[in-house]
Amino acid sequence: MDLLFGILRFLLATTLLLLMTIPTAFVVIQMELKVIAQMQLRYGPNRVGPWGMFQSTIHGFKFLAKEDHIPDQADRATFTLAPWMVYMAAAMSMLVMPFAPGAIAADFNIGIVYFFAVIGLSVVGLLIAGWASYNKYSLLGGLRSAAQMVSYEIPLTLSVVGVVVLGGTLNFRELIAWQQLHGWMLIWQPVGLGIFYIASLAEINRTPFDMVEADSELVAGPFTEYSGMRFGFFFFAEYVALFIMSGVMTALFFGGWLAPWPFPAQLEGFGGTLYGLLWFFLKSYMFVFVAVWLRATLPRVRVDQLMGMAWKVLLPLAMLNLLVTAGAVLVFNL
Amino acid sequence: MTSELRIPDPLELEAAEEGRLRAVAGLPPLKRGGGEYAGFESVGLPDRPPQTEREREVYTLDEGEMLVNMGPQHPSTHGVMRLVIKVRGEVVIDIDPVLGYLHRGIEKLCENATYTTVMTYVDPMDYLSAMHNEHAPAIAFEKLFGIKAPPRAEYIRALVVELNRVFSHGLMMGFLALDMGGLTPILYSFINRDDVVDMLSAISGQRMLFNFFRVGGVNFDTNDEFMSRLGTWRAGVLKTIEMSERILTDNEIFRGRTVGMGVLSGAQAIALGVTGPSLRASGVPFDVRKAHPYSIYPELEFDVITQAGGDVYSRYLQRVAELKQSIHLIDQIVDKMPHGPVQAQVPGIIRPRPGRAYAAVESPRGLYSVYAISDGGPNPYRFRMRDPSFVSLQALPKLMPGRLIADTMAVMASFDPVMGGVDK
Repeated sequence: MDLLFGILRFLLATTLLLLMTIPTAFVVIQMELKVIAQMQLRYGPNRVGPWGMFQSTIHGFKFLAKEDHIPDQADRATFTLAPWMVYMAAAMSMLVMPFAPGAIAADFNIGIVYFFAVIGLSVVGLLIAGWASYNKYSLLGGLRSAAQMVSYEIPLTLSVVGVVVLGGTLNFRELIAWQQLHGWMLIWQPVGLGIFYIASLAEINRTPFDMVEADSELVAGPFTEYSGMRFGFFFFAEYVALFIMSGVMTALFFGGWLAPWPFPAQLEGFGGTLYGLLWFFLKSYMFVFVAVWLRATLPRVRVDQLMGMAWKVLLPLAMLNLLVTAGAVLVFNL
Repeated sequence: MTSELRIPDPLELEAAEEGRLRAVAGLPPLKRGGGEYAGFESVGLPDRPPQTEREREVYTLDEGEMLVNMGPQHPSTHGVMRLVIKVRGEVVIDIDPVLGYLHRGIEKLCENATYTTVMTYVDPMDYLSAMHNEHAPAIAFEKLFGIKAPPRAEYIRALVVELNRVFSHGLMMGFLALDMGGLTPILYSFINRDDVVDMLSAISGQRMLFNFFRVGGVNFDTNDEFMSRLGTWRAGVLKTIEMSERILTDNEIFRGRTVGMGVLSGAQAIALGVTGPSLRASGVPFDVRKAHPYSIYPELEFDVITQAGGDVYSRYLQRVAELKQSIHLIDQIVDKMPHGPVQAQVPGIIRPRPGRAYAAVESPRGLYSVYAISDGGPNPYRFRMRDPSFVSLQALPKLMPGRLIADTMAVMASFDPVMGGVDK
């Protein structure tokens, strides 16, 4: 009976999560359209629905209506596989996302390891998309993505190791409980937070590290030959990944579902779940907003500067941060 | 009898000619590597010698190199320019601009038009500086015909021309940022441009291709709408420029990508014929408005601004400085503008005496000049235009080898080419 219940719960949770990616992507895209428009002194979309609210939904349906074209010389099997891989990497990593107390799809003890393992899979999708398209821009974009994401994964993960050492757990829920006791991780790991934020922007190919697409250089990078819903999947995955990275940053450094100081940190029961959801989404979308803000402000860094930053600045800094953290944990018995 | 007649391979002829030229120039003979037809079998290319130069280029690529076709439908080639870039990984080895995708035969059109209607044809050449395009032929035709525009007309000309320079330089700031992935400055530039073109449309009736200059004057006098728009715009323009500048000038990423990038020395720039802001950014104080004064520029106070660096960042700073200088000039022009007619007496159909005239103006992209020959008829016998962006593009293949693909766009945008002018 327990097993059956477990299977049912898993199916329900995964379905919900898969469905959740769609409105998430819509909201993030809509936010990007509107926020960037305001920053650029434009109106932004304002025709579809009140305040243009359904513009991104229409974008989504537009992808469905478009011709799905596969180039003659492309490798059909891998070409069709690539969008799926990129999307699944984003969707699967949501499995351990700590939305609220009682609202974690799979609350297992190596959640953080699982998350970084799965989110790293998207590089495979981008690489094969670049290779399978039989297009020079795609190839260059795919190789860029491989170089960029593999290099940034190292400082990204190292910056999180500091958090894990301090919190003494690989489970998101326990980490948030630790933060409730000792204060948000942002106080304990400010350097780690900085490294994590920069590396996570690079990991999800956001400005100023959007080397993979780089529309003024590589047309659309690995997505150049994609059209219709296949392109839509890349597009979705990108924005879902933006939300996920913001969510994980919230969970790791900003107390996850915990409310900030003047409010009670947590509530009990079902109301507590809703209360947690509210704060989690508020914090996550704040970081989405910051990413959008950066996109409106900064130009793109060059590919060699990008790699130089990963290996010469972030990696040593992350190592140092880990060393100091581990030393402090040993000395002060934290 | 056996025929010895053989149609020579054009490429052989070309190689022979190249050898002869190198011998004359005292250079060692060109080494044609053993890998001339490398990769023939593996790629399955046809079993025949290459028919065109481009095909030969493809066959002679080394291991690890490839040709990337950037354009003419690339998102950031400033119109319909095509760059054939030979890359090894991301490093540019060679770059070959291919022009002519926007060729409309404007010179020939002008030779079949009367002197009055030439003004309508030159507008769409360099479409971001249409006023300058009209200014040069207007001066040249006045020289040919031996008339002078009234002083007020000259002031209005200088005014609209400087206004045009303001929005052109503003757009350059935006496009340079856009080619590096910065999305916002271009929007701010377009807000500024919109104000200016609204103003110019108030005086000329058109927003882009103004058709405002006439032989012996300008089409319309200033009107209230123009002057009031000018006042409103002048009150806020420095703020919009500062908004773009704040995003770019001290931005760490922007500086990291532009400082020391694409350095063009003064001597090199002169040898290539680069003029305008790009030349002055290399430290050469050459400004047509000072060097060969025309219109009312001798009466205005301004200095020739130069930069020392000669890199992309200097060219950007040069544009910003000139933009502010133009606003300063506009203030002076409005202050000093006299009253009077705006059009000299000219006949309906202008028939200058046979002769030739040359006129050069300082357009936002450099020395823009017109050379017109009259045979006494109602239309120019020969009408030749020198477009600065065409000449500036020559510098691109000199600057790019060894840089990355990403820098190609930055360096190209720093010369601010407009393909309408390059291809005419």
